[in-house]
Amino acid sequence: MSPALLAYALGAMRRRAGRNVAIALGLAVVVLAFATVLFTSEGLRAMSQAYAAEAPSLTVERLVAGRASLVDVADAARIAPIPSVRSVTPRVWGYLYLAALEANVTIVSSRSVTTLEQAPLEDGDALFGSDVARALGLRAGDRVAVSVANSSGDEVPVPRFVRVRSVLDPSSALLAGDLVVVNETTARELLDVPTDRATDFVVDVFPPEESSIVSADIVDALSGTRVIDRESLGRSFELTFDARAGLLSATLVPALLALLLLAWERLTGLSDEERREIGVLKAIGWSTSDVLSARLLEAGLVAAFGSVLGLVLAYLHAFVLGAPLLAPALFGWSNVRPALVIAPATDPVELLMLLAAIVVPFAGISIVPAWRAANVDPDRLLR
Amino acid sequence: MPSFARDRLRALAVVASCVAVIVVAIALDARARTLRGRALREQNAAIVRVTGLSDLALSTSSTWLRHPSLAPASAGASDAPLGLDVDPAGAVIARRGHERAIELQRQAP
Repeated sequence: MSPALLAYALGAMRRRAGRNVAIALGLAVVVLAFATVLFTSEGLRAMSQAYAAEAPSLTVERLVAGRASLVDVADAARIAPIPSVRSVTPRVWGYLYLAALEANVTIVSSRSVTTLEQAPLEDGDALFGSDVARALGLRAGDRVAVSVANSSGDEVPVPRFVRVRSVLDPSSALLAGDLVVVNETTARELLDVPTDRATDFVVDVFPPEESSIVSADIVDALSGTRVIDRESLGRSFELTFDARAGLLSATLVPALLALLLLAWERLTGLSDEERREIGVLKAIGWSTSDVLSARLLEAGLVAAFGSVLGLVLAYLHAFVLGAPLLAPALFGWSNVRPALVIAPATDPVELLMLLAAIVVPFAGISIVPAWRAANVDPDRLLR
Repeated sequence: MPSFARDRLRALAVVASCVAVIVVAIALDARARTLRGRALREQNAAIVRVTGLSDLALSTSSTWLRHPSLAPASAGASDAPLGLDVDPAGAVIARRGHERAIELQRQAP
């Protein structure tokens, strides 16, 4: 590539500044949209995979009439003797609708919160997720009344006071923003779960490779159960994010096609001035390949500027601003929403493929009209 | 090379340098965020170990999104019976067992 060609391309860019700026901005918007989807979905995927790796080896739930139902705590004794099962823990958790919030929160029992640097939870104590605490205006030490449905026959809900032991760190909001962690007794009271029932069993298997065998043994021992292993959990998240990101990208394809159509329309209609310019270049001895190179350089510079601008905006949008334009499409309906704080986890190869998918067709369509004009006799171009 | 061409190349070099600085700054910021994100994930993994719930809190009132792995396949439809089917593929974890073998049995009259 000669510097003279590059200098000529820069001059041509300046002469057609309005058109080039419009096309670069269009390209930047399309790259912004696609790259935001890529950045966000990859960030969420990395986060969910990391957390799924910490999930229990197996989760056993009972299905009745196709719906998850409470398990019988006594059934734990039928799972415990299976070889490779290290522990079976009945877990009490579920959703509680808070009328004050007009939203569900997730109540989950924990026997030990010492790994969270907390003393064991007493009855009525709770660790609140940061989003629930913020929505209810709660701080450590506050007491909040929760209306609890009661299966004992009372017609009106019973108020139950819960004391805020502490609020979980806001950095955990995407994982635990809507959680209320309590001890088992309080969870049973809030969720109205009898003492001989639990939501599901958490089974710890060692070695982990035995999970599928243990899973089959559990289904044999307890008919009508669904056993979810850690790998299925990871795959489930992967499919969910793939489906959502794919759907979002598919909705953006018309925008890309519209941009290419616009660029084609703008670039194929060479003006008389451009035809004359190519004619002069050919007349003073430029070869067809020189004309094409200059044209490709001009298109390449416009595409590079638009792509970099789009990528920078996408980065700021996804990681600095929390993807405010995309989050509503990713989040379901709820009044309690965590801020979308994600870390970059995009493979550079994927990013290059995305850019290639947008920039290569753009550069391609910009060469065609120049190639057609450059092959015409200069005498005809100058007339 | 004429002076106007040199001026153009000089201007391009200035713009390219600015873009390079921005790209390097973003790459450094991305690296810092990645490391911070990894540290936070390790710190927050303790919550998963305590609760056993690894699902992201992307939604609290759409149970098929909050805990897609533990929700029945029809949860999306049951939360909003007249709504469109949401994430039908991602949210399904089938039961495994001998049911299929049992249900494939046929008996002649």
